Amino acid sequence: MSLAGFEVEVQKSGDTGLETEEMTLNMGPQHPSTHGVLRFVVKADGEVMREAVPDVGYLHRSIEKISEKVGYHGFMPYTDRVDYVAAMFCNQGWGMVCEKLAGIEVPKRGEYCRVIASEFNRISSHLLSVGTMVLDIGATTPFFHAFREREKINDLLEELCGARLTYNYMRIGGVAWDLPPGFVERSLAFLDAFEPLIEEYNDLITYNTIYLGRVADVAAISREDAINYNLVGPNLRASGVKYDVRRDEPYSIYPELEFDVPVGSGEEGTVGDCFDRYIVRIREIQESCKILRQCFKQIPDGPVIAKVPRKFKPPAGDAYIRVESARGDMGWYAVSDGSEFPYRCKVRTGSFAAMAIIDKISRGLMIADLVAVIASLDIVAPEVDR
Amino acid sequence: MQEFLDSLINQGYFAGVPRDVVYAGGMIVFGAIVVLVFVLNVAGVSTWVERRVWARIQSRVGPNRVGPQGILQWLADGIKLIMKEDVVPTAADRPLFLLAPYIVMMGFVGTFVVLPFGSRLVIADMNVGILYVTAVTALVVVGILMAGWASNNKWSLIGGIRSAAQIVSYEIPNGLSIFPIVLLTGTLSMQGIIKAQGWAPWNWFIFANPFTFAAFFIFFTSALAEGNRTPFDLPEAESELVAGFVTEYSGVRYLMFFMAEWGNLYVIGAVVTTLFLGGWQIPHVTDSVVLSAILEFVTFFVKSYFWVLVAMWVRATLPRTRVDQLMAVCWKYLVPIAFVNLLGTAAWMIVWPQGNRPVRFIMLLIALGTVGYFFRRVAYHTRRAGVRAHGELYLSPLS
Amino acid sequence: MKHRGYLGNIVDTAKTVFEGMAVTFSHLIRKPFTIQYPDRTALRVQDTLPFRYRGILEVDLEICTGCLACERACPIDCIVIDVVKDKQTREMLMTRFDIDMAKCMYCGLCSEPCPTGAIHHTPEFEGSDYSLESLIRRFIKEPVVTYKPKKGGEDDPEILPLLDRGMRYVEEFASPEGKKPEAEEEAA
Repeated sequence: MSLAGFEVEVQKSGDTGLETEEMTLNMGPQHPSTHGVLRFVVKADGEVMREAVPDVGYLHRSIEKISEKVGYHGFMPYTDRVDYVAAMFCNQGWGMVCEKLAGIEVPKRGEYCRVIASEFNRISSHLLSVGTMVLDIGATTPFFHAFREREKINDLLEELCGARLTYNYMRIGGVAWDLPPGFVERSLAFLDAFEPLIEEYNDLITYNTIYLGRVADVAAISREDAINYNLVGPNLRASGVKYDVRRDEPYSIYPELEFDVPVGSGEEGTVGDCFDRYIVRIREIQESCKILRQCFKQIPDGPVIAKVPRKFKPPAGDAYIRVESARGDMGWYAVSDGSEFPYRCKVRTGSFAAMAIIDKISRGLMIADLVAVIASLDIVAPEVDR
Repeated sequence: MQEFLDSLINQGYFAGVPRDVVYAGGMIVFGAIVVLVFVLNVAGVSTWVERRVWARIQSRVGPNRVGPQGILQWLADGIKLIMKEDVVPTAADRPLFLLAPYIVMMGFVGTFVVLPFGSRLVIADMNVGILYVTAVTALVVVGILMAGWASNNKWSLIGGIRSAAQIVSYEIPNGLSIFPIVLLTGTLSMQGIIKAQGWAPWNWFIFANPFTFAAFFIFFTSALAEGNRTPFDLPEAESELVAGFVTEYSGVRYLMFFMAEWGNLYVIGAVVTTLFLGGWQIPHVTDSVVLSAILEFVTFFVKSYFWVLVAMWVRATLPRTRVDQLMAVCWKYLVPIAFVNLLGTAAWMIVWPQGNRPVRFIMLLIALGTVGYFFRRVAYHTRRAGVRAHGELYLSPLS
Repeated sequence: MKHRGYLGNIVDTAKTVFEGMAVTFSHLIRKPFTIQYPDRTALRVQDTLPFRYRGILEVDLEICTGCLACERACPIDCIVIDVVKDKQTREMLMTRFDIDMAKCMYCGLCSEPCPTGAIHHTPEFEGSDYSLESLIRRFIKEPVVTYKPKKGGEDDPEILPLLDRGMRYVEEFASPEGKKPEAEEEAA
């Protein structure tokens, strides 16, 4: 449907001749609870929504086009900005696609460093996601508690690679820095202190009756809908589909690690409602802690980066890889024409598909629920628009 | 206060002036003193207290730079708001837009006339005291609706309508929870209600019978809903409606709405203390009038401010309900239970006209037991979070 | 929502609210996590940052070899270096070394290929200023001779500490041979 020119429907109701109108609201690009600059044009009948049409593109920065100018090595810091909340996965995606183009193999220790950094980033991204979700529902304190833990993870990653948000940690062929001395002890100390805090978080908000009233049974996405609309990651798993790229199309060292894939089971309502999407993220945080402990135990010695020439010229061709990012299956596609600069680079992100399903599931919900739905789908604007 | 003015008249101060004029003039003067010296300052300091309490609950430090421990922060915020440009949207309904904040302020300032701060410290001890409080706080609905409509902004309109529905609905459990107390005392006057209680906890109305105990919780919940506080703060739901019905307000008008909310919180605490917790009653420790007045004032203030702190604590803990859930809570849960309380109290008074002392003590012990269990859970959570030694706790509110 | 019945709902609400309030009260008596920067910290924050922190760039011109590796590596082209060959002395002279900090995204790609560690990140992060032009750091005022690493190690006492620090910075970066920084030393 076109976004320009909304017709206001005037309905005469019954014999009183009362005229009612549908209200067209603009949940504009500047709004405290759309995560980033997203716009929804909402047609509402009082509090109940009839339609919520998303409008994207406010954060488009032509990152994919920039790759054609800066070359393979130089593009790595830009991949951080594709999804700055979970930047390590984007780094890993670009590294993996270049390695696939050129047939480079990453040394074992390099893969372990990549997984350690990625799982830390998965925890911090999920903390941000659940924190902002409860903040949008109205509880202000769990947000700060989640961010306090996120700051501790940021401190660890700052020791590792020098930055707190746009890490630029990985390079084509491995990672840029090895684990600094003392990192393993500090990380294990952090994990020991962190796991009880997730339990505390659950005590505070997850099973709170008022919170359950807001998220349970709201916007349930069925299995078929989730697959048809191309949802990925925790959104897909919450609807009951047990699909995780780390399990089903394994890459890196994930075949050597033991972890569970949490799936939504409708424990407080229907399968695939907002609560399932929320609880799947909380459980994934706990699984990532398990993965990290295994990595720290199993990490071998050796180099962390393979030998890659300064002027990286992969043979002509294309490659597509998938990474299980915090927001789901992130696909990276690169086309090379034999020169130093990629011919085309394309990113497929989970949030973009999630924007499409919002219109379908928000019919009949109230405006307050729209906020819960957007937050539970974990949509971040930079991923949607790139 | 009436006796004070009578004594002044008898001493011949206001010769030639009719009595009613003296009373009216006295009320205006005392009202102004109370409002300017007490109400606005308490409302302002409450903003600072809330920000500090919230911050400690959220593992951070609140405002602590402006003045010692940041206590002048509210003054700085107020002065900033006063100095802002007065923006009135061109398409807004100008008379209603300008009038709305004042009606909301009236709604809460008017209640201070009957609040009993001490046995002699009340501006006008009306014999319909508590009914007057309920009626005047309902003016807030009118003000909020005017603000929501006059802003010419769909989001404000939604906020205003939500608030009207909410406040009007929650008036009912509010009123119904007051009735058991009125039944027990037989008077609507605030001083009368307090004088019917004693200074000792087991003489308070909250422990008089199990029905008033339940009525206390119902009253506190519906008073929170009346004051637009979380978990019922949909009209100003920050994350949904930007700022709800106050979106278009800036500067002094915004300050008025703000002050009204914080002042209302204190009124809630004061009314709860009057009805259920014995008001200003203190044991007879001194014969001096001045000293006992001061002690009574301090007791009343401490008791009512405690409930303000509890309201802030609840706001930090709970998420927001949705509008239809809020209505469901009111009509399906609070109103029936409030009716049951009313009938139960009436039945109790028939069976035990003089009250039942053993039941009071049992209920006091149950309450103390719950508080003790609460602190056990607090200790459990603190220990689980890794704070082992007593020295690692940070009990000081200073920073 | 799972229907727990009328009384069940009331009991559930009371229980979860009670538990939630116990958690918040326990936070009230714990130490806040805030660091009151900048005036109530024990040390300057810049001194507490880890060694690898990517702050504002700094160039030690005494050990810069003029190889232009950093200029080539920068994806944003914010480093501009002019190297000319002096006709009389047959030396390479650098006449311009500008880094535009307004464009720099602190990615660290320039400090990685530097052979001596001349260009490196400092822990400095407070760089705000009033005009955009003042953010262009011009390191060269008069033409500087490029540095030639001496065989057998450096012996100049003024250049040696700079070179040590620079090489230590460079060795933090991973290399394909797997050389790790010494595990016994404190690398903070």
